[in-house]
Formats: sequence, structure tokens, C-alpha cells
Amino acid sequence: MPVNDPTTVVQVRDGAVSLGGRPVLRRIDLSIAPGEVLAVLGANGSGKSTLVRAITGLAPLSHGEVLLFDTPVSRFRDWKRVGFVPQRATAASGVPASVWEVVAAGRLSHRAPFRPMRAGDRAAVAAAIAAVGLTDRSREGVSTLSGGQQQRVLIARAIAGEPDLLILDEPTAGIDRQSQESLAETLRLATTRGVTIVLVTHELGPLAGLIGRTVVMRDGQVTYDGPPTSTDHADLDPGHHHHLPGAGADYAPVVTAPIGGAGRPMGGRHLR
Amino acid sequence: MSILFLDFMLRALLAAFLTGLAAPAVGTYLVQRRLALLGDGIGHVAVTGVAIGLLTGASPTLTAIVVAIIGGVLIELIRQQGRSSGDVALALLFYGGIAGGILVTGLAGVGAAGLQAFLFGSIATISWADVWVTVGLVAIVVVLALGLAPQLFAVAQDEEFARVAGLNTRLYNIVVSVLAAVTVTVAMRTVGLLLVSALMIIPVATAQQLTRSFRATLVSAMGLGTVAAVGGLVVSALAPAQVNVAPGATIVLVSLAGFVLAWPVGVWTRRRRRLATPFVDPVLPPNEGDPHLDGRHTVVPESHEHHHGADCGHQAVPHGDHVDYVHEGHRHAAHGSHYDEH
Repeated sequence: MPVNDPTTVVQVRDGAVSLGGRPVLRRIDLSIAPGEVLAVLGANGSGKSTLVRAITGLAPLSHGEVLLFDTPVSRFRDWKRVGFVPQRATAASGVPASVWEVVAAGRLSHRAPFRPMRAGDRAAVAAAIAAVGLTDRSREGVSTLSGGQQQRVLIARAIAGEPDLLILDEPTAGIDRQSQESLAETLRLATTRGVTIVLVTHELGPLAGLIGRTVVMRDGQVTYDGPPTSTDHADLDPGHHHHLPGAGADYAPVVTAPIGGAGRPMGGRHLR
Repeated sequence: MSILFLDFMLRALLAAFLTGLAAPAVGTYLVQRRLALLGDGIGHVAVTGVAIGLLTGASPTLTAIVVAIIGGVLIELIRQQGRSSGDVALALLFYGGIAGGILVTGLAGVGAAGLQAFLFGSIATISWADVWVTVGLVAIVVVLALGLAPQLFAVAQDEEFARVAGLNTRLYNIVVSVLAAVTVTVAMRTVGLLLVSALMIIPVATAQQLTRSFRATLVSAMGLGTVAAVGGLVVSALAPAQVNVAPGATIVLVSLAGFVLAWPVGVWTRRRRRLATPFVDPVLPPNEGDPHLDGRHTVVPESHEHHHGADCGHQAVPHGDHVDYVHEGHRHAAHGSHYDEH
């Protein structure tokens, strides 16, 4: 990727972020070209989430600048080009909301207030729900879905806006394998349309095949920037803990049958 | 029944209907943001507004609306600034509001009796001018609450996402606070400042026992709000003349009765949905291969006479590529000639 490419999707120049006076991101120089699929890796607390928050303008820079599509993020208005999947354990809130309603929020960057949805908006919402495989659940309340399915709803919401840049913060944290594979497939489809992807994770899993470039963060700085290597995981702090807040709630509770148990005779029948 | 057709009763019914329409419309967003007590907070602050009106001779409704909006915006700004200390700051504002109200009322020489009409409502004394003001304010609240529903929903549902979608989340949050302040002032005459929040929150709590979508919750909460407000007023009007039944109290109690009826239905439907939630195999490292070999899968040792099917009455739950049946603590699926325990 040529560094002097005049058209970059994301550019961070000597970026720094302080939270309450404490530097959490330092000397970040990052340039992401159209169509790149980039994974930001690092242990918890390494600053990888803060990096995407700086890129999306959620965390203001204390130094340096962030450009989105060659526009400083503070003056950037073309938000329909950006799809964001924030780090959340759930897609639910205090009032029931259907899958369709949550995903439809992804079209708001295309809509003015007091304007009803157009046919194009509805088609994009339906396509996004189909892309994550939840078409048959679209009228159901999000709170009734499993954690992995809720994560897929949040991803559908981001792609419903048909963005050129998709930013995902820990989309695979604590989700089941079926949802991880569904996510990988959704992202693969997006890359074929030339979408630039920035993915924060501490575990690539089924997504590994998609990634063209990795950035490894440690202590608020970039310690590696280049093609994925087999040492990506070795670079993580071995003491990091996995974000599995929903690990218990993610799956239906295991039904323990009173007659189950290893010690019982199985009558010679095979374990499938 | 003739009391229902008296002129004052007509005004009261109209005011109750409008209040019942507006309060849950705003309340839905408060519940969604888990700020169900915000209406109470603004109600307390509005007491000072009423007192200022009593002191200065200005319309208490006007001063209440101004002070309530200032209070609502202040509460929202405090919420946006502080993180953990937010609720304490809100509490300070609540207490300040009601203490200030009592103090200023005393200065005005009206005494607590003057405040009472506003604290507990005085729907029977509403004039036609009051009704028209209410019509105007309710129209504004309902148009904004419904017209901006997609934006307000998105901001309340996931503020960070909404910001990255280019929405001015700070402005929309303040809009909700201002709408809540206007609603509190509108409902002040109907149910009273102390019970305003009940009409904002209870219909929403009732509606969401039975709904799955935000739109359905919003619309049915507004319906329930009007039924409770009008129904409660009628109940109080039909009470025997020798007892004093306050309309504010009956409106809130009718609303609560609706919740008490809906709640068991909600518990039952949630239980049914939980039972029908598909079983998902746990995340295993890829080298551990087939999730069906995870050791938790065993053949049912008992001979299984019963054949599970679509209409056997046992809970059918999707599980991967097949369907499990749940009964008496088992969860199993047909596998060739036998049943597998899952």
C-alpha cells in the first residue's frame, strides 16, 4: 500500500488520546487504503478499542489528527459511508424492540428527520437481516435472541447503511461458533463489494482467512503493522482474559437430565 | 350518569384524554433509556415553578413549564457530564426543587394549601383556556414523539452507534428532556405533580408485557394511557357524593390495575419464548471438531415408546440441524432407531 496515496479511507497522523489526563493512545500513525481488511489486535487495555473510538470521533484526540475519507473527523458529515458495530453485550434496551427496528436504525444516516422510510431503505434493511441469516426472526424482539444472534443484529444494523468503511469493535466476543462463522461470511461478502473493514478483536477465529493486515497494539502504541503472522496470538499478553460476559447467558441453559451422567450403562449403544 | 355531561366534566374528560395520550409517548423513551424516574425529578423541580407563579402572580402553568424545562435540560446536562455521580446529582436537584417550592410558596403567603391543587391535581377546575393550552402542548409532544421516533429510538437504544450514524445525540436527548418537562406540566392539572410520572411509566410497563416491538409498545402505551386517564376520571366522577375520590388517584390506580392484569400474561409469554429459544452448541476450539462429540451427548437409556412430533404437545426447540424435544427435564432428539439425550 503506497503511503502517499492521496485517497485513504482512514488516516491517523501522530494521534494521541487522553482519558481524564491519562494518555491511553500515543504516537499513532495509521493509514488504511480502500478495500483493506485490517484487524487491530492486542490485549485488554492495550488501547485497541480507544483507537476505533478515535477513528469514529467518539474519543476526541488530544494530539494529532484523524482523517476519514480525507476529511478531518471533526468536520466529517458523510456518516452514511461509515458503519459501526460498538462493543456491546446486548442489542436490547429498556423497551422491547424487534430485530427489524434495530436494524432499521442503520438507515438513519441516509434519512432526514420526519421523513418516512423509502423503498430503498426497506430493501437495504431486509438485505442486511438476510445477510446475517435472521430473516425468519426479523419480527421478534431482540431480547429473545441468543447473545450471538444479538451480535449479528448489531452487524446487520451497521451494514444496512451500505457503508464504504465498516468498523467492528470486538464483534466475536463471547458469541457461539455458528454466529462467528455467519459473521465471517457476512464480512467476506462485504469485502467483495470493496468495503474497507477495521476489526478490533483479540482472537481472529474463523475470521483469520479474511484479514489482509494486522495492527498489534500494546500499551497505547502500535507495536506491529503488517501482514498477519502466526505470532499474532503470541504477541498478546498471556494474562488477558476473554470478554465473555454473556458466556453463561449466551447459550440456552444446559438441561441436565436426572438420569444422565457418565456412570450409567449405555446398553452398548454408540455415542454419535 | 348525568354528571358526565356537565360542562366542567367535558373539559376534564378532554384534559384527561390528552394527558393520557402524551404522557406514555414520552414515557416510552424514558423507560427505554432506563430513566423511568426522570419524570418524578422534573415533577419535583416543577413545584418550584408553580410556587414562583403563586409568588409573582404569573400563571403557575407558565412558570412551571419554564422551570420544568430548565430543570429537564439541567438534569440531561448533568447526566451527559457525570458518569457514576449522575444519580446523586439528580437527587440533589429533586430535593432542591421541592424544598424551593415549599419555601417560595410560604413567601407568597399561600401556604401548602395553594400548592395542593398542583401536587394532587385539580382536573375539575380546568377552564376552557387551560384545555386549549393543553391541546396545543399535547399536539407538540405527540408530533415530536412520533415524528422523531426513529431518531429518538436509535439514540436511546445505542447512543454511540447513533453518534457514528451522524445523529446529534446531545440535541435528541435534550428534546426528550424538554418533552418530559412539557408533559409533566400538562399532566400537573390532571393527576398532579406527585403522580405525573405514574402516567408516563405504568402504561409503558403494561404494554411491554405483551409487545415485541418498539412501535407496538409506544402505540399501545398511548392507548392504555388514554383508557386509564379517562377511565380513572369516570370512576372518580361516579363515586358517591359523600366521599371525596381524587381523580389523580383513580387514574393511577386504574393504570396500575391494567399492569396487574397484563403482568401474569407477560410472565407466561416470556416463559414460553425462553423455552422455545434454540439450543446453541458451545464454542469449541476448531481442533476439537464435531460439537456433537462434546461428551454431553448420550443415548437415552430408557426405551422410548412415545414418538415426538410436531403436535405431541412437548416443547419443540430447534437445535442445529434437528429439533430437540423437552419434557420432564430431558432434552432429546430422534436419532435413527433411538433418542439421543442432548
